[in-house]
Amino acid sequence: MTPYPKKLAILAVTVIAALALSACSGGGGGGSSTSTLTVGLPSEPSTLDFTSNGDAPLPLLYNVYQTLVKDDQNGKIVPSLAKSWDISDDRKTYTFHLVDTKFSNGEPFTAEDAKFSIDRVTTWKDSSKDAMAVVESTSVKDAHTLVVTLKQASNSWLFNMSSRIGVMFAKNAVNDLANKAVGTGPYTFTSWKRGDSITLTKNADYWGKKAGFDHLVFKFFKDANATNSALLSGTINVIGLTQSPESLSQFEHNSKYQVIEGTSNLEVLLAMNNSTGPMANEDMRKAVKYGIDHKALLDTCFSGRGTLIGSMVPPTDPWYEDLTGKYPYDPKKAKELLAASGEADQTIRLTVPTLPAYVGCGQVLQSQLQQLGFKVELKQLEFPAVWFDQVFTNGDYDMNITGHIQPHDLCPVFDDPKYYTHYGKPAFAKLCADADAGTEADQVKDLKQAAEMLADDAAADWLFLLPNLIVADKDITGLPKNSTSESVDMTDAARS
Amino acid sequence: MTDTDARRAVAGGSASRVKRNRRQWNGSLVVGLVLVAFIVIMALVSFVWTPYDATRVDTTARLVGPSASHWLGTDRFGRDIASQLMVGSRTTLFVGIISVGLAAIIGVPLGIVAGMSGRTTGEFVMRLNDLVLAFPSLLLAIMFAAIFGGSTLVAMIAIGIGSVPSYVRLVRSGTLQVMHTEYVLAARVAGRRAIAIGLRHVLPNVTPLIIVQSSVLFAIAILGEAALSYLGLGTPAPTPSWGRMLQESQTLLFQAPLLAVFPGAAIALAVLAFNMLGDGLRDYLDPQLEDRR
Amino acid sequence: MSQPVRIARRAAIFILTLIASSVVVFGLMAALPGDPARVALGLDATPASVAALRHEFGLDQPLPIRFLEWWRSLVTLDFGQSYVTHADIGSEIADRIPVTLILVGAALIIAMIIAVPMGTVMAVRHRKLSGVVLSAASQIGVAVPTFLAGILLVALFAVGLGWLPANGWTDPDVDFIMFLKQLTLPALALGLVQGAIMARYVRSSILDVQRQDYIRTARAKGLPPSKALVRHGMRNAAIPVVTVLALQLAYLLIGAVVVERVFVIPGLGSLLIDSVSIRDLNVVQDIVMLLVAAVLLINFLVDVLYDVIDPRLRAAT
Repeated sequence: MTPYPKKLAILAVTVIAALALSACSGGGGGGSSTSTLTVGLPSEPSTLDFTSNGDAPLPLLYNVYQTLVKDDQNGKIVPSLAKSWDISDDRKTYTFHLVDTKFSNGEPFTAEDAKFSIDRVTTWKDSSKDAMAVVESTSVKDAHTLVVTLKQASNSWLFNMSSRIGVMFAKNAVNDLANKAVGTGPYTFTSWKRGDSITLTKNADYWGKKAGFDHLVFKFFKDANATNSALLSGTINVIGLTQSPESLSQFEHNSKYQVIEGTSNLEVLLAMNNSTGPMANEDMRKAVKYGIDHKALLDTCFSGRGTLIGSMVPPTDPWYEDLTGKYPYDPKKAKELLAASGEADQTIRLTVPTLPAYVGCGQVLQSQLQQLGFKVELKQLEFPAVWFDQVFTNGDYDMNITGHIQPHDLCPVFDDPKYYTHYGKPAFAKLCADADAGTEADQVKDLKQAAEMLADDAAADWLFLLPNLIVADKDITGLPKNSTSESVDMTDAARS
Repeated sequence: MTDTDARRAVAGGSASRVKRNRRQWNGSLVVGLVLVAFIVIMALVSFVWTPYDATRVDTTARLVGPSASHWLGTDRFGRDIASQLMVGSRTTLFVGIISVGLAAIIGVPLGIVAGMSGRTTGEFVMRLNDLVLAFPSLLLAIMFAAIFGGSTLVAMIAIGIGSVPSYVRLVRSGTLQVMHTEYVLAARVAGRRAIAIGLRHVLPNVTPLIIVQSSVLFAIAILGEAALSYLGLGTPAPTPSWGRMLQESQTLLFQAPLLAVFPGAAIALAVLAFNMLGDGLRDYLDPQLEDRR
Repeated sequence: MSQPVRIARRAAIFILTLIASSVVVFGLMAALPGDPARVALGLDATPASVAALRHEFGLDQPLPIRFLEWWRSLVTLDFGQSYVTHADIGSEIADRIPVTLILVGAALIIAMIIAVPMGTVMAVRHRKLSGVVLSAASQIGVAVPTFLAGILLVALFAVGLGWLPANGWTDPDVDFIMFLKQLTLPALALGLVQGAIMARYVRSSILDVQRQDYIRTARAKGLPPSKALVRHGMRNAAIPVVTVLALQLAYLLIGAVVVERVFVIPGLGSLLIDSVSIRDLNVVQDIVMLLVAAVLLINFLVDVLYDVIDPRLRAAT
């Protein structure tokens, strides 16, 4: 043989050997068989341990991990692992009656685990643990009864217990939370192939309504386009958290698919640095608010999907008021205020994290303001690392666009002057504290006032409320219309 | 070691060919020049005039197809495509010029030095070269983007540094050849200083090599910037960039395929232009260069 | 210089360059802004917990010690845990290497299947219409960015015709048919472009050889042109092609990074990009070093191969 074909042969052998030697573990491709549901999501968590960093526990909450109470589609609290509860007259003591079930590792779920989980929250490494600061003590009355005593009455505590801080962990199974999840939910955690997918399996011993699929796979896509292609070619069955609404029309006109649009808790916040820079000037802030054509912005950068809001409150919250009329689009007024502020020649640094929706809306916002004479510089900051460092930790920005997904975040986002919004007006903080300690009626009244205060002070602007957009195969039922929590809730999903 | 063997050794190709000095115009050269000229003119004109402001969002004219008011249509923000292409050509050319310029300024002198000096210096330079060669351009760009954040400048510097070794190798091989010619041998015998030899004999002879290589590297730089922008590590919004226009067009591939066609064609055309220019120059300046890659 | 000595010398250079490039990688990574401990802990970590984590990662040690510690971990293949995800880096990388290798291997096969015949025809008929047309086609192939080729392939075959899946990856031992289906488009995207590039090298290499004296001699002796080419020419034509193959392998490895992003393939390239965006410092460092080492190794092996197959080169230094 001459050397040339020989080289080819060597190469071929090497490649075939590589193919033969590839003995990898774990599953990969999704299927559309009746027993597996594959859901496409835009961002993969960096760790399964949401107690150690601020990552949202989207795939695991409610599907694997459960809380004592849950939100329903209307934002109301309903029983979950606590089948019922009694509240004392002074509203400081809660007695929970727990469901008798087991964790996925076989250990029984008891009040000891509940106590353990609640107590453990103080060791969490991110700020969501503050919501548990109002708890004075927890005690186990018997195997299925837990008593929690608060330092003072708090309207928000029970609600917060439906979110991540209320997750019930098995007291003996928290040594590898970053890679394994042990819960009581309708699905159990099976495996995590990093960069690819998380696989869950049906929990045959689940205490409630059994899961609709044998396997639930969450596949992660960095690219909206890849996600759409995957649904079209059958690799996935559901797109959760659609990032590219502009491509929805190809699904809406296709009888094989359904598009579900509901509300969420994700306010797209245009934060303004109230403490330093050109935006510390109230005229500037108001000028910007009058200068944004919110409807056109929503239509352009998010295909008109979503709701316009005038403060940090979604329409599904009891204290919602339509405040969008406070700052209607008024270019003339915007220019007047801009001139009056004396800061017209200052360049506003508009920062956005590198997430497609915010980058897009940032460009539209910049152009709208520039057309009115504002000087705006758009800076994309890599998410998460650089954005967290510069904007979140150091507050080094003038205006910033980010979404806030946690429900009932009117107070947490604005009542602390050290938080990146740098607002924290004492009067506002007082309203928040009163709202939490008072009756439910007080809470509604106080929070309405608080929301209005934010609007009147032009503390920030709210570009829009992100919709809950899901695209799926036509025959999948039980998908959540409204997203009232931080979960991608597939507990009711089934194939009809 | 004869002249022939030396040439073969360093050029990795053939020896014993008749040196033809005829300079012939050819098809590649003409097409390449025309296309490159078109792009350059488009970029220059964009400084003075574009149909619309390329970054201006027009919420009333989203996803308009090619029409009288918008010759190539608009994107999903209502921005004029033709204007974006024109301004984007600035980025494209800028990336090419800076990265190729950077690579040449570093690589050519290094290559000449390596070719002219003694064994040790020559070896040292080639080892340094191997070190840089270990880092493919895109990898360098990814690392730099991680450190300094993605931007046009970072892309250019990374691609530039990544292109240095190819100049060094090429110029060194060309230099070694020249060093063995009679002219140079005579000059050395006559006691001419190295710099004089370098400037007088070496440089003019390696210049054709450099020109051809520059054209090829320009094309590679354009592709590199496009890939980086696709990965989100290149020119950030809202500055128009052909690579990023391609990335943004993906989600709308079925509603508005032209959004991908125009920047895609622009990139391919620009790369083609510089490749053909390089081929044409190679044939024009010295057909002997055919075997030097 | 005898052959074993030359090879030993080349090996020494390989090792030195490897060490030098590790210094470069480490130095660049150490310059990364942003505190990996803070990023790992997220939003509102307390300064105390950040300091504790820095100590746990050994970030408070002086640089030279950290460098040596890193070398130790590389050499003993004990990569440790990621700062951010706490995953075992070694097993993650081990999972992903075969994926990227398969992709690159398949692309290389496709590229060679295209390049050799196409390049040969382009060379042999370079003055005829077929040669010119193929040459023009290869020019266009070279000009198309890999990700554009990928997008177009998806648009045509996955969504338009529905013949193949648009993206994703299945292990061959889980579902071999699906694996092949999912491999096709990404391998094509990478391989077609590389094939066009390599075709041009094959063409010029053969054209080059055709002009040689010994070919003319063979033909003068009465051998038909094709036989002359095959018997005497191919071996020489192969040499520069082998060199180019080495360079192309490096490009392919990097091109795989982009393709893995377009087709959502869990290979080494996508791990790299993902790790960069979450500032997973030590994973990035390890992967970059791995890729660099691979490139250097390929170059070293090709140099040795070159030396072995071409005796004429031995006269040169």
